Amino acid sequence: MNGRRSYYDVLGIERTASLPQVERAYRFCLEMYGDGALATYSLLDPGEQQEARESVREAYEVLRDPARRRAYDLSLAQPIFRPLREITPTAPPAAVPPLGVAPLPTTGATLAPAPVAPAPEPVAPEPPAPAPALSGPNPVALGEQVTGAALRRFREARGVSLDEIAQKSKISVRFLRYIEDERFEMLPAAVYLRGFLHEYARGVGLEPRGTAEAYLQRVPSI
Amino acid sequence: MTAAALSTPLPRSRREIWCVGGGKGGIGKSLLTASLGWQVARMGRRVVLMDMDLGGANLHTCLGVPPPALTLGDFIRRRVDKIDDVAVATSQPCLRLISGASDLLLAANITYQQKMRILNKIRSLDVDIVLIDLGAGTSLNILDFFLLADQGILTVVPEPTSIENGYRFIKSALFRRLRRAAQTPPVQEIVDQAFDQKNPLGIKSPLDLLEAVEREDPAEAETMRREMAAFQPRFVVNQVRSPVDASVGHQLVQACARHLGVRATYAGYVDYDDAVWRCVRQRRLFMEVAPRCPAAMKVSQLARGLLDGDSLSLMW
Repeated sequence: MNGRRSYYDVLGIERTASLPQVERAYRFCLEMYGDGALATYSLLDPGEQQEARESVREAYEVLRDPARRRAYDLSLAQPIFRPLREITPTAPPAAVPPLGVAPLPTTGATLAPAPVAPAPEPVAPEPPAPAPALSGPNPVALGEQVTGAALRRFREARGVSLDEIAQKSKISVRFLRYIEDERFEMLPAAVYLRGFLHEYARGVGLEPRGTAEAYLQRVPSI
Repeated sequence: MTAAALSTPLPRSRREIWCVGGGKGGIGKSLLTASLGWQVARMGRRVVLMDMDLGGANLHTCLGVPPPALTLGDFIRRRVDKIDDVAVATSQPCLRLISGASDLLLAANITYQQKMRILNKIRSLDVDIVLIDLGAGTSLNILDFFLLADQGILTVVPEPTSIENGYRFIKSALFRRLRRAAQTPPVQEIVDQAFDQKNPLGIKSPLDLLEAVEREDPAEAETMRREMAAFQPRFVVNQVRSPVDASVGHQLVQACARHLGVRATYAGYVDYDDAVWRCVRQRRLFMEVAPRCPAAMKVSQLARGLLDGDSLSLMW
């Protein structure tokens, strides 16, 4: 098997499968990979079974949602990473490093997590918080260059676990970890990754848009 | 022209060898073979049942036939010339039986030449279908017969031990096939190692093996891939007590494809049925005594499916 398996492969269905078919395939796969399931218990160890269940759920979450499925289908049709500019003509190409205007406690590599104190957007020309009801207080910008490692440090300093983010965002822990590990080859196309990054940022209390755009600049195009 | 007038039930090219295997004993292989053979014969095909169950040949008992005077052993020991001579009649006109009974020691130690002789003679039998009961286990004799079959039927029951052995059977058979196909010593070495589940290369499944070969020799990996694609065991789930049991067959097919890289199919299932059990005790075949019982109905479906090359598929 070369390349990554699509969500359709994971559920063992055709691209044209109807929603009820997706449901049935999902239940079938969960049963097949269930704890001590006859067909897989002697084939896979418990860890592998668990992993298989997770990918099945992940596939199902996307394919059962018509909007997400449509977006996913589009992503299948194109190479994983198109040049960013092509996909996001709106993304300001210049503003690479820290986007948000926040207190920058940059002390070299060892950065302190940005204080929870609100970044007081002094001359906010636009509506204050474009994102509604985020988790936590006012989101801040990351006080250093937005890298996977920096995101992790920030998250850990905030005491937020990946599981918590996963629960709120419905994004698999696996992807959240890929983001932190900068395993770009495992991450979806920029359009979707952006959504993931927004969710991640919200989960830890970072300003979503700037964080996402800054991170995306790190993703090699193709 | 005149050939049309002499037409046999099936054209010659349709003569097939079906083998029934399964890693574990006591899961109903012999009974399945007997009933399947009986049903296929009833549908008008000329069938020879062959008992290669080395440790416990008892197809004759399943069919309600006394232990035949002549057995496969007589053919192997050349007491008779033609394999046809050891095929005895049964109560079903189109069905004959080659018994393996009473040749325990001989059958278990059959040589390569003897095996080839049997195989050649089987091919020369003037019948439509030769149906072979392989018995339990994964000995090389069993695997070789399974691999040469036109249809390799793998019996399991919905129990962990049986399914575990079923997978072991599939892996062993496939490794054996790949070992034969391997051409260069380094690749042969890799396949040899794969037989040992604790091999240092970390090869657990045929997919791992394929990867290891790919690294060593991409050209040979291509051959291996073709061999793997051509290996298509057909599952039969026996002693099914619920729809969940029946769906295990679909799961096995999926699991084989995903985790072993094996293209198995689901030929069908047979119910757990008290009628079968009562008939066994009377030494009668349930197909004959209770042809309307659930198990018999399923065997009929199975026979039709195997003849037509159909299998059960998921209704998605």
